[in-house]
Amino acid sequence: MISWPIARAAAREKLRSPGILAIGLCFAAAAALSGRAGAPREAFGGFGIAFLLVLTLALGAGLLAGELESGHAQLVLLRPITRAAWVGGRLAGAGIALAAIVVAAWLAAAGGAALRGGQTLSLSAFGVLPLAVLWGFAWLSVLAAIGAVLPGWTNSAALVLAGIAWATLRGTLPAALGHPEWAAWLAELSNYLGPQDPLQLAFRPREGLGTALYDLSWVFFAWLVAVLLFNRRELARRRA
Amino acid sequence: MTGGQSTATSSPTSTPTPALEVTDLRKVYPSRKGGQVVAVDGLTFQVRSGEVVGLLGPNGAGKTTAMQLALSLLDPDAGEARLFGQHPELLQVRRRVGYAPDAPLFPRKLTGLQLLALHAELLGFPRRDARQRAERFAEQVGFADPARRPAGTYSRGEAQRLGLALALLGDPDLVLLDEPTAGLDPAGVAAMRELLVSLRARGAAVLLNSHLLSEVERVCDRVLFLKEGRLLRTHEVRAGGRRVEVRLVNPAQMAGPLAQAIPEGTLEGDRFRVPVASEDAVPALVRQLVAAGAGILEVRLAGAELEQLYLQIVEGRA
Repeated sequence: MISWPIARAAAREKLRSPGILAIGLCFAAAAALSGRAGAPREAFGGFGIAFLLVLTLALGAGLLAGELESGHAQLVLLRPITRAAWVGGRLAGAGIALAAIVVAAWLAAAGGAALRGGQTLSLSAFGVLPLAVLWGFAWLSVLAAIGAVLPGWTNSAALVLAGIAWATLRGTLPAALGHPEWAAWLAELSNYLGPQDPLQLAFRPREGLGTALYDLSWVFFAWLVAVLLFNRRELARRRA
Repeated sequence: MTGGQSTATSSPTSTPTPALEVTDLRKVYPSRKGGQVVAVDGLTFQVRSGEVVGLLGPNGAGKTTAMQLALSLLDPDAGEARLFGQHPELLQVRRRVGYAPDAPLFPRKLTGLQLLALHAELLGFPRRDARQRAERFAEQVGFADPARRPAGTYSRGEAQRLGLALALLGDPDLVLLDEPTAGLDPAGVAAMRELLVSLRARGAAVLLNSHLLSEVERVCDRVLFLKEGRLLRTHEVRAGGRRVEVRLVNPAQMAGPLAQAIPEGTLEGDRFRVPVASEDAVPALVRQLVAAGAGILEVRLAGAELEQLYLQIVEGRA
């Protein structure tokens, strides 16, 4: 399902990108300034969560298309490796890079909090780490699925545009059509249009578990869709 | 690895299964003007273990497409390709194949060594062995120093060498090389020639697409002339032997003595042409000419024969 040599190479490649390193540095700096040990939402809240989102978009941009368009993917896929394992490897590699930067940001947050004489680190402060990675990884899977059909970095651009379009629709449609009660339905619908924020599990283990599992299912299903779409794209390219 | 010998199923008559066999391959691309371009049309040929086969033809003859069809990088509209008697997409078949594309591109941030180690791991070598193998093959293709730099900094020739190292990395039993000498300096071309000879010596099958006729003539056992996707003719290079062309200072006085000493040769103007079995025969021939009284200005191992054939077959010139 996952080619680990591909994953390691993808992680190395991502972590050497100046753009991603710059975002990671900003993320760590924001976490260090806003983090209060023992309050994980603050470590990854505010600017922190915005940087996590930007980081995920940057890591997912051209995740599959970059390799395909350079032609290197063709050489790799001539090796004894399945297309599914290649997609899994690229995704896992981006996930490793994401996890490395999230850990660095968390350490910066903990360090910043300690310097300011913050609280002792609690279990929930540690719990925020895998949850933040899960959230980012679920979105990376979505980006991989979109990237299996779109060229270059346009998968991230398409996701951002879709997000803006949905937010605009949600904000304006009920009033424009004279149905203010739709606002609540649209808000409810939003909870199913992509991975949700699982960080609440760090505070409320019982209530937050559903969201975390929901995000986990997004990882799996989006990866599956990515593999199916990539297969279709490859077979179409070969026939063309 | 299987040391170059095909282990796939043999035919009922126990003929060894060819490393590569394509039968009636046809590939048609849609053209920009709305019509169709026939890239490969009814192509049938084989490459056996221990054989170097060259593909020759003008640009657009279908050589690269033929290679990509053979590897299942493209699907044919008709016909089929078999590697070691099996479908090219089978993972056990892929382990035995190396391919160097024309003008390869690589991830810009990874070094050549990292890319080589990655591919070695994909071929099933453990991580530590993969790193050692990467260094060995980088050295083998004269790429040891650039291999430590990110691939984004490579020149065309360096990328070509990396592509070649990647193709040879798994000691493949079948190697497909698409314009491997493009962008290489003369030393690189010579190293490539030695590599091809060593591949043949260890029993690998090689399909070579090159425009360098002299190189093709020197290393190939067989040459396939392609034009507009069709196989025009197969030429057995080894069976035909080589030819030496000697430019004489005193051709007028040498007609008689040469006809007596070397009757298989022909004298035209100041050029004396002699067929030889191999390069090894050239020093003895020169001694024989000098002994017969010939003044020698220049000795050339002819590559012109293939060139003439090429012009005659592909370009239709007399």
